[in-house]
Amino acid sequence: MRRRFLILSALFVGLIAGPATAQKAATVSVSVKNHRFQPKELHAPANVPIAIHVKNLDSSRMEFESVTLRVEKVIGGNGEAVINIRPLSPGRYEFYDDFNQEADGVLVVR
Amino acid sequence: MRVITFAGAGCAVICLCLSSLAVHAQPTSQQWREIETKYIFGFTEGSGVGLEGEKEFSLDTEARLGKSGGHYYASETKFEYEFTPNQYVQFELGPFASAHSIKGVDGLDDRSQLAFGGFFGEMRYLLLDRSTSPVAVTLSAEPEWRRIDETSGEVVDNFELELKVNADAELIKNTLYLGSNLLYEPEITHDPDHIGAGWEPESKVGISGALSYRVASSVLIGAEVWYLRHYDGAWLNNFTGDAVYVGPTLFVQLNPKMFISAAWDVQVAGSDVEDAAAKLNLAEFSRQRAKFKVAVEF
Repeated sequence: MRRRFLILSALFVGLIAGPATAQKAATVSVSVKNHRFQPKELHAPANVPIAIHVKNLDSSRMEFESVTLRVEKVIGGNGEAVINIRPLSPGRYEFYDDFNQEADGVLVVR
Repeated sequence: MRVITFAGAGCAVICLCLSSLAVHAQPTSQQWREIETKYIFGFTEGSGVGLEGEKEFSLDTEARLGKSGGHYYASETKFEYEFTPNQYVQFELGPFASAHSIKGVDGLDDRSQLAFGGFFGEMRYLLLDRSTSPVAVTLSAEPEWRRIDETSGEVVDNFELELKVNADAELIKNTLYLGSNLLYEPEITHDPDHIGAGWEPESKVGISGALSYRVASSVLIGAEVWYLRHYDGAWLNNFTGDAVYVGPTLFVQLNPKMFISAAWDVQVAGSDVEDAAAKLNLAEFSRQRAKFKVAVEF
């Protein structure tokens, strides 16, 4: 009974933590200035975890969001954050600032 | 009175759609952003598990209307907290309220009541992602404890486990979506007829298909069909009847952090093993069912 509980607990924790990724992440950087992403197009390798380093150079907060990357993150004015993405297949993944939807960009994975 | 309430709700939804169209009509279809598919198919759920870091509160009402005679209305409204801890898993939980208005229906006591109905939880796991497969697939498990019987409104002890496979595909990029669900739902109710029968198990299986078309950046309309089968016994032991529902669906993104989703299904065919002449199954299923959800993300 106790063993079954431990196995179930481990499975539950595993689900919340997400699939383990032992691979080293590829890091890409983007900044936001005057409510525009710079650069607008990022490049990353396929099938490895990706860390997107976002610097908000504006004084107002922004929200980095992407439906296909399945992330959202609020970043305060003049703040920065690292957004960890699961390994991706080759393709184009759009992202935008949910507080200012004219600001958008794309992550190209090859 | 009920008709007036639904007519009012319908007018409000149309006004919200029109205002949403007016506000968001600028981008062309080529400029539309991707959308979350979970709530665009009505009763059919899409594969979306939300965005990592996203939290949402919603009011989600499912109503069942009409039996073989008299007046019948039953609904459950979930006060739902939803969060997505990583890019694969989503959790939902909360209490729900149960409402019944029944008069002159064979086999059911007349009642008019609003009560605390119970608690639910749901876990969703994204099995197949659309970036790796043309069809995205999510598995979901939703346990519920219910203290008010869904159909009769009587006080009961009921435990239900809704297991679903949610699949969807994007037929035209950012415009036309196809969704489908497989359902298996066992439940047990303690002595529902108060005759000392102990725990009574029953189960339901179903399959659905739905199409949702984006008519504007923030508005999707569509239609769905559900085929449901009901059994006595938790393991689909004795078939008691089936029903086919068909109806329209609506999804409106009111602003980046708020949306509504609605559906109205009508039973168009059915069978009841205890009534061979029946063209619909109004014993286990209702004549119509409706769903309305309003959600705020934060």
